[in-house]
Amino acid sequence: MKIRTEQFVEIAREEMKNTRSKAFLGLLPPVINAMRQISLATFPDPDAAQAYGAAIRGEVVTRLPELLEEFERNATARGTKVVWARTAAEANAFVLDLAKKKGVAYVTKGKSMLSEEIGLNDALIDNGVDAIETDLGEFIIQLLKRPPFHLIGPAVNIAVEEIRDLFMEKGILAEPTEDPVALGYAARLYLRDKFHRLEMGVTGVNMAVAETGTIVNVENEGNIRFAKSSPRTQVSIMSLEKVVPTMADALHMIRLLCRNGTGQKMASYISFDTGPRAAGEIDGPEEVYCVIVDNGRADLYDDPVARDVFRCIRCGACANICPVYTKIGGYPYGWAYTGPMGQLLTPLLLGFSGTSDLFRACTLCGVCKSVCPAGVDHPRMLLYYRARDAAGDPRLRSRGRPLKERTLYDLFAWGATHPRLWRQGAKRMRPRVNRGARDGYLSRSVEPLDGWFRSRDLPEMAEKTFHERWKEREGHKAKA
Amino acid sequence: MRRVSLFVPCLVDLLLPEIGEAAFALLRRLGVEVVYHEAQTCCGQPAINAGYLPQARKVARHFLKVFGEDEAIVCPAGSCVVTVKHHYPELFADEPDWRTRAESLAPRVYELSQYLVDVLGVEDVGATFGGKIAYHEACHVLRGLGVSEQPKKLVRAVTGAELVPLNAADVCCGFGGEFSLQYPDISEVLVAEKTENFINSQADALVLCEPGCFLNISGYVHRHHPEKKVFHLATLLAGNGKGGGA
Repeated sequence: MKIRTEQFVEIAREEMKNTRSKAFLGLLPPVINAMRQISLATFPDPDAAQAYGAAIRGEVVTRLPELLEEFERNATARGTKVVWARTAAEANAFVLDLAKKKGVAYVTKGKSMLSEEIGLNDALIDNGVDAIETDLGEFIIQLLKRPPFHLIGPAVNIAVEEIRDLFMEKGILAEPTEDPVALGYAARLYLRDKFHRLEMGVTGVNMAVAETGTIVNVENEGNIRFAKSSPRTQVSIMSLEKVVPTMADALHMIRLLCRNGTGQKMASYISFDTGPRAAGEIDGPEEVYCVIVDNGRADLYDDPVARDVFRCIRCGACANICPVYTKIGGYPYGWAYTGPMGQLLTPLLLGFSGTSDLFRACTLCGVCKSVCPAGVDHPRMLLYYRARDAAGDPRLRSRGRPLKERTLYDLFAWGATHPRLWRQGAKRMRPRVNRGARDGYLSRSVEPLDGWFRSRDLPEMAEKTFHERWKEREGHKAKA
Repeated sequence: MRRVSLFVPCLVDLLLPEIGEAAFALLRRLGVEVVYHEAQTCCGQPAINAGYLPQARKVARHFLKVFGEDEAIVCPAGSCVVTVKHHYPELFADEPDWRTRAESLAPRVYELSQYLVDVLGVEDVGATFGGKIAYHEACHVLRGLGVSEQPKKLVRAVTGAELVPLNAADVCCGFGGEFSLQYPDISEVLVAEKTENFINSQADALVLCEPGCFLNISGYVHRHHPEKKVFHLATLLAGNGKGGGA
């Protein structure tokens, strides 16, 4: 996937004019978040359930190395071949090589953000193995060659007319129709045929249970269950933070994932698979591979703040309620991960130098943190990124900030620690700032506040500051 | 007699002194002795938000020196209180002495409505306002401090005022300090929506407890709906009718 994080501002500007995107995004807080709250209310104590989820994910982060080893041990004991991939290239090369060895013409894909992250589809297709997305939304955006708009609904913003034309063009649909059921049925027929002859399926992983070696997938379409159960060779790819300690933990996180992601108490399909077909079993793949992908994560593990990003379970609740995401949609985030969780993960994986808008385009309103079932403190992390960026931290691939900005904050700190000069400075600025004020308000553009004045006025600097007023009236009584 | 130290945010000092005066007058009216330290400047929040922590530490040390001995510090700005209460201790993670000072100060800092309701136990401050009022739940007040009922209780007790519901009251207005300058397009869409919800609430005035939101929302309202009023809570309660601009 082409990385477009540097075009955040331009893409956001375009998307805010897109009426289709606006219509969908407008529904997220009142509908999806309302459903989320209703489904969470089915817990005896929703706050406790969320806190329990945060505790589980906190434990995962703390014990990550040992949990991965435990998962590997137990999965291997049940016949799963566990493969470690340090980089995206290693992961892609392994899957491609396996497909070549098995002589398959194509693999089916279950929706996986990791697959988008590592660019698996391109790696396969460019080397002669077709990769067919089987989640309906992912299938549509693959055909359209577009990035995901939303973590869970990658194509929710695409117009039905556009899907009709696309399906006609690709020969998926025989007669033009805008009936969503008919369109879904056409895609189903097309994909069923692919599953029917399936040799190799590749899916993501929602949870990998350390104590049992079980791989859990949560979905609503049944395509992942097909991709996991019908091929001879099944490959699960997971980023290393997907592990959970116990089956009980997995079950609790599933409850939270469904409620926080889609407002469901339970998704339509939840698969628990432990190893390939065993002796005496009538179905299941002959071989199961689990590729555990690092892709830069292990290097972040000794950073006590940054590694909290590994708590995330990809439910997307943060995006559905984020004031910025619900205005600009998923495209401006420029890569696989959208919304607040993308603002945290993408800069760490791609480096800070081309992703600075992701951790700056946030008002720090904190609503993401308030809904997160995994205990991610987004505002704290974003402030940390800004601080590491201002410090030009090479480990996070920051190029540092412009000298002009640094000088401004040096000056600010100097002024704020010299009260007398601070007040003199304010006094001196006043006539310059207030030039052109009318009835106590400024409304014409003044550098560097151009953006503000495009839509807003600003009170002029007070003729007398609070300090000056106080000194005049009270100063003689209450010297501090 | 109770004694508090008034922490006047820099935005209030420079642009909105009426809010500081209102807070001052209000506290006095309620029988509180108010101290104002002349050496106060800014809490350093802009530097923290922009990532300039060494600079922020300098400013925070100054703040701790100025306010360190006070029994209670009251501020008419949620985000400045969050800065001192929550960010200062973390800012000095590697400086134990300063960290101790920051931690000891944290519980003594109050947002204005919090102090009035939770500490003084006052709801009716004797203010009057003829009309409907909608309350904007500023992010740092609501989620940063968990303060929401206190300002609403105070508004409900204002003679003649009717508190009406505001759709999406807890959604950010799009200020975010530097955010509003760096991402003006996104900021504008958010403040426009906040204003639309305010207009649709049929309220005569919008009330809030955060000078940043005040600048943002009142700046937009002043340009597009000059007939509508935006008030900082302090101004409404002091009843001096000023500083409610827009």
